[in-house]
Amino acid sequence: MTQLRRHLRQTLTIARRDFVATVFTPIFLLFLFAPLIMASFGAVGGMGAASASDSSAARTRLVVLLPAAAARRVLDADARWRPLLAGDSRQPRVEARAPAPAPDAGDAARQAAATLAEGAHGHDSVDVAAVLYGTLERPAVLYAAGDRGGARYLAGLARDAALVERAGAAAPDATLTAVRTDAPSQGVRKATGFFAVFGIFFLTLFLSGQVAGTMAEERNNKVIEVLAAAVPLESVFLGKLVGMFGVAVLFVTFWGVVISQLGALLPGDAGDALRTLAPAVGGGWFALLFGGYFTMAYLLLGSVFLGVGAQAATMREIQMLSLPITIVQVAMFALSSAAVSHPGSWVATLAELFPLSSPFAMAGRAASDSALWPHAAALAWQALWVAIFITVGARLFRRGVLQSGSPTPAWKRLFARR
Amino acid sequence: MAENGIAVSAEALVKRYGERRVVDGVDLAVPEGAIYGVLGPNGAGKTTTLRMLLGIIEPDTGSRRLLGSARPRDVGDRVGYLPEERGLYPSMTAREAIAFMGALRGLEWRTGRARAAELLEAAGLGHAIDGKIRKLSKGMAQLVQLLGAVVHRPDLLVLDEPFSGLDPVNQERLEALIRAEQARGATILFSTHVMQHAQRLCDRLAIIARGQCRFEGTVDAARALLPQQVHYVPHRADPAIAALLPADARGDGEGWRFPLPPEGIEPVLTRLIAAGHGIAGLSIERPGLHEAFVRVVGEEEARA
Repeated sequence: MTQLRRHLRQTLTIARRDFVATVFTPIFLLFLFAPLIMASFGAVGGMGAASASDSSAARTRLVVLLPAAAARRVLDADARWRPLLAGDSRQPRVEARAPAPAPDAGDAARQAAATLAEGAHGHDSVDVAAVLYGTLERPAVLYAAGDRGGARYLAGLARDAALVERAGAAAPDATLTAVRTDAPSQGVRKATGFFAVFGIFFLTLFLSGQVAGTMAEERNNKVIEVLAAAVPLESVFLGKLVGMFGVAVLFVTFWGVVISQLGALLPGDAGDALRTLAPAVGGGWFALLFGGYFTMAYLLLGSVFLGVGAQAATMREIQMLSLPITIVQVAMFALSSAAVSHPGSWVATLAELFPLSSPFAMAGRAASDSALWPHAAALAWQALWVAIFITVGARLFRRGVLQSGSPTPAWKRLFARR
Repeated sequence: MAENGIAVSAEALVKRYGERRVVDGVDLAVPEGAIYGVLGPNGAGKTTTLRMLLGIIEPDTGSRRLLGSARPRDVGDRVGYLPEERGLYPSMTAREAIAFMGALRGLEWRTGRARAAELLEAAGLGHAIDGKIRKLSKGMAQLVQLLGAVVHRPDLLVLDEPFSGLDPVNQERLEALIRAEQARGATILFSTHVMQHAQRLCDRLAIIARGQCRFEGTVDAARALLPQQVHYVPHRADPAIAALLPADARGDGEGWRFPLPPEGIEPVLTRLIAAGHGIAGLSIERPGLHEAFVRVVGEEEARA
């Protein structure tokens, strides 16, 4: 059996053990469904807040206190504008009420104040945010302090109704013509790039930090010497990384399938947002590169965390590593996001070359640059660094934990052939 | 394949931790098919020597060959190892633990599981085949680990303090297993500081103290380092007897003990009889390995 095949077999033996030991435990179910638990809490909290907000919005009214014909025109204007309102621009329902005969402007203002006050005192189980009164020629709006949006909307409706009244049948309707563009805009490409960076960051944030504590298990169980006697430490490290990567892939696959089958699980506009993604390399290559860079990001960050975590002697030390681990990941995300925002800049080049940020930045680059060869080079570059991190981590472990020290300078031992 | 019938050899192995030379020029030659003991007091450097031989750590200077290879890892699949610090994954079953250790050494999982069941049955642990390691007693877990070291039928079995922590029944089982492995054709190299096991099992041994090899040879050669001991019991106690015995004779309350003189026991007996002291009891005893060990490493170190 060749050396390579033996190392591969040993690596897979370690990976298999770690995968099985992680997946076939009740704790793994907790881990697997953690997003569901998180989403459930979020949904419960969100539903509570939304319910309170919706019920409050449903009870609020904008009142039009104008003669019937004028009120009709205002309601028509509301019907024209309301479909264009979304999100925070949405306005309460507009309701027309017939005013009592008012001999002067003072009486009309008093009626409007009374209508506003009715809502304020909770009569009629509705809240009145603003009241439009007067005439279309001289409209006036009375509104509750702090809720100017409704008042402005009513004022706008009155102006639109007045303009339409004056224009009559000559009020123009614009002709709408759709034009298909060949290339997505820079904005769409940047959004696509950011999606790639954020997607990989999001997945690695939750998953790669877990490898930090895996060597502690061997040290606590004193299995490490059995492994070290049978298998090169590099294979032990790589095996652990591959095993935990298998767990991560299982996790991502599970949730990928669930979400793809249950579109309802996607938040509001996520489906539409995904359809608008337009990577420069094309959808197929983009998906492939996304998978490749997720793998590399996991292996790179995981190998660093594994090497650092292997030096920790206790679970407390490992727990303390979680903060620096998160900081490193966030820093790589920030650097790569900057690279996506400024493609071709020195920041982008730095992010693409620096090993830990390279997978994120290159995934972002796939959105704006159609050339494929830089990705082949980047994947090879990143694989090289995975090998370097694993080798250095294993040697530091051998030296620090297995007490294989010597008077030879550390740097020379680190790179000495084993 | 071993070279010239030598399964394991070491030449001038040195290992330093800081300024301390933990292993200081150890030479070893373990014949193929032998049971070879590495004896020494605590902290003598036995474990470090074994770890260097196996390639777990690298010597600072010196060389070693394992089953004919200067790179121990190249022959890793032909070696079984039981470390001093026992370690198993608690969540594994006994069968899986043994199969896993076999898989690390190149054995197919399926074969490993089948052999694990056979080995556990033969070792009297049939009831624990599918039991979790965490539920086994310490002695049983240790036996499981030992079975894991032999499941792939290694040519060389290295055991670091294999008897420590075992009750007498399991010690007997372990001795039987070591002999069975030798009968199968394996070479066994083990470290211990318990002389009875070494005396019963070893074909050859090395005595290490302060990182240096103080003796290397057969058990008989080690015991021959000390002269045979004469135990003489007179009819009645009399201080005058001392003058008739060799100068290094010492009273033990019942009689006198002294090394067998180079000229034999007859001249001494002749003097005693001529002086009318008579002989109530007389025996000539071969010193045990323990006495030889104490002699080699010094009393102070032997107590360490």
